[in-house]
Amino acid sequence: MSAVTPAPWKRWANPAPVVKQLVTMGGFAIAMALTAVLPDLGFPNSRSLLIAVALLVIATALSAAVSVRAWHWRFEGVVWAIDVFAVFFLRTASDVHFSPLFFLPVLLVIPFAGRRGIQNVAYAVLGSFLTLVVPVLIWDFEPTDLAIGCFATLVVAIVGFVFYAITDSQRTGIEQLADHASKLERSERERAHAQRTLQGVWEAVTEQVIIATDFSGRIVSWNPGAERMLGISRHEVEYQRDILDFHLSSEIDGFHSLVESANRGIARAGEWTYVRGDGSSFPVQLTVTPRSDELGNTTGYLFVAIDMTEARAVAKLKDDFVGLISHELRTPLSSILGYLELLRDDDDVELSEAQLQYLSVAERNAHRLLRLVGDLLFTAQVESGTFSMEQRRIDLAEIVEASLETARPAAAAAGVTLASSFAAGAVVDGDAVRLSQAIDNLVSNAIKFTPGGGTVTVALDVSASEAVVEVQDTGMGIAASEMDKLFSRFFRATTATRNAVPGVGLGLTITKAIVTAHHGQMFVESEEGVGTSFSLSLPLARVAASVLA
Amino acid sequence: MTDTATPIPSVIVADDDADIRTLVAMAVTRAGLDLIDELDDGDQAWEAIQSFHPDIVVLDVNMPGKTGLELARLVRADEALAGIRVILLSAGVDDHSRQAGIDAGADEYLTKPFSPKVLAAHLTEVAAHLGVRA
Repeated sequence: MSAVTPAPWKRWANPAPVVKQLVTMGGFAIAMALTAVLPDLGFPNSRSLLIAVALLVIATALSAAVSVRAWHWRFEGVVWAIDVFAVFFLRTASDVHFSPLFFLPVLLVIPFAGRRGIQNVAYAVLGSFLTLVVPVLIWDFEPTDLAIGCFATLVVAIVGFVFYAITDSQRTGIEQLADHASKLERSERERAHAQRTLQGVWEAVTEQVIIATDFSGRIVSWNPGAERMLGISRHEVEYQRDILDFHLSSEIDGFHSLVESANRGIARAGEWTYVRGDGSSFPVQLTVTPRSDELGNTTGYLFVAIDMTEARAVAKLKDDFVGLISHELRTPLSSILGYLELLRDDDDVELSEAQLQYLSVAERNAHRLLRLVGDLLFTAQVESGTFSMEQRRIDLAEIVEASLETARPAAAAAGVTLASSFAAGAVVDGDAVRLSQAIDNLVSNAIKFTPGGGTVTVALDVSASEAVVEVQDTGMGIAASEMDKLFSRFFRATTATRNAVPGVGLGLTITKAIVTAHHGQMFVESEEGVGTSFSLSLPLARVAASVLA
Repeated sequence: MTDTATPIPSVIVADDDADIRTLVAMAVTRAGLDLIDELDDGDQAWEAIQSFHPDIVVLDVNMPGKTGLELARLVRADEALAGIRVILLSAGVDDHSRQAGIDAGADEYLTKPFSPKVLAAHLTEVAAHLGVRA
């Protein structure tokens, strides 16, 4: 788009030096002509006249030279100064103190006073003084002549100042206009650039379907991704087809069901099925947002869809893999544990103490492997969102007590003292099995990481809105640099590997997933060599909370 | 088997893992039940069920041919076999797998690994509810 160009305005506001010189030349010529033709006037001093004309020619030539490039216009002050001297010599060429030459300074003053900067008015007045008063001083003059010369200079100064004020005001206005025009031009360039960028992005998106519709669902824009993935060109679709033509009809209950969230200002991704031009279909994750015009008025909707075929295949592969692990590991474990049990319970064979000890080792390790398989399976369920819970009202104290009882043999074997404190009223809504698993993890971890002679303290506290289980140990602690990785899958703290503490790094991941699923939070504080404190907070069951309050 | 001449409930076991099959067979014997057949795939198991009409079937969910779930559905869909008690054995421990087993018509859904003692107890319990003395 062609913008409003400021150049003509600038030319008008500040003409080239040669143009201004033409005005001076015109005045010069008129003054000479009048002096020559009017009675009692003339140029008795031909030498001064010659100098004046020569100076005028020089000034005119110089003005033409400096007008070639705007950068040279700064030298127009020199042109003006030569003009002043040309007028000065023209006045001295005449022996009449007040002739038509009198108005020439005005012609000089006005253009120069109109330049930017108040100092130019002073230069103009100085020029006037030189051409009006100094020639009088050269001649034999009466005081009256000097007074008239000074008065005339004063008048010229006033005229110059007024002219300066007017031109400065106009110049400011013109510059503002030019500035606006410049901004408008820049804005237009930016808009065009943004338009080209948007068009480029629109054309480049070939892996996502982007469709714009009006309020009724009629398609108004169809991107290359839609052409590629739905197998129909935009010329066959735009302003001819409806968005519902490309949805599986059994999934859709009218257009409003697609845009319901968008109308409420929510950009929610939903799973739908798109139907290609050839009738085949594929799953998509679709986000619908309102579409606006340049005034912000909603004019329709924008549908952005991602092909989920591959993602679903990957999810299925993952599920299959988890199923495979589950089956292929749990089935041999069934045999191992089952036959170990048969061996232990065989009434026909009396086992020695040592043999029973060997059996216990085998059983313990088989159960350890079984727990690992269970943890892997649980982690996969959490990731795939298939982790389910059996919610019921439970007293957390019972779960903590059971965990302590379970942990007591291991603590005794490790020489670790187990201490506990309980507050009443820790009633929460949750899955007792899962919460037991979470607390068991924290307590068994604390025992594993505490050297013999240390203490593990389990405290159950209740506040106005939540129950908090804190498991504190006097163990080896965790390095500060590793604190943010503690809940990552398969992460093992340096202190754990250095001290050969058994584990695979899933316990805390699982514990946090369980706590999060119960709308709770986990906190950890630790100092290497001093100990660690893990706490989990769970919201109290609503009734219990009101009773406590 | 619905032969009223014998008071001992009959059992068919189907699992593609021979070791597990033997373990289940031992549990059946420990429960004092009559093990009439052991099969290692679902298709053979279906033929045996139709032939022998056992009182109880212990089926692995994942096995070649018909799966345990398919067999459970077939048993439930056949009026002549409606009295058969179905125990499913599965490595699937998640709620979804368990629900699928129950929906297919299983009377019991046991997860692997299982204790032979516990399985024997379940078999005794199921047999007791047949209304026949084990």
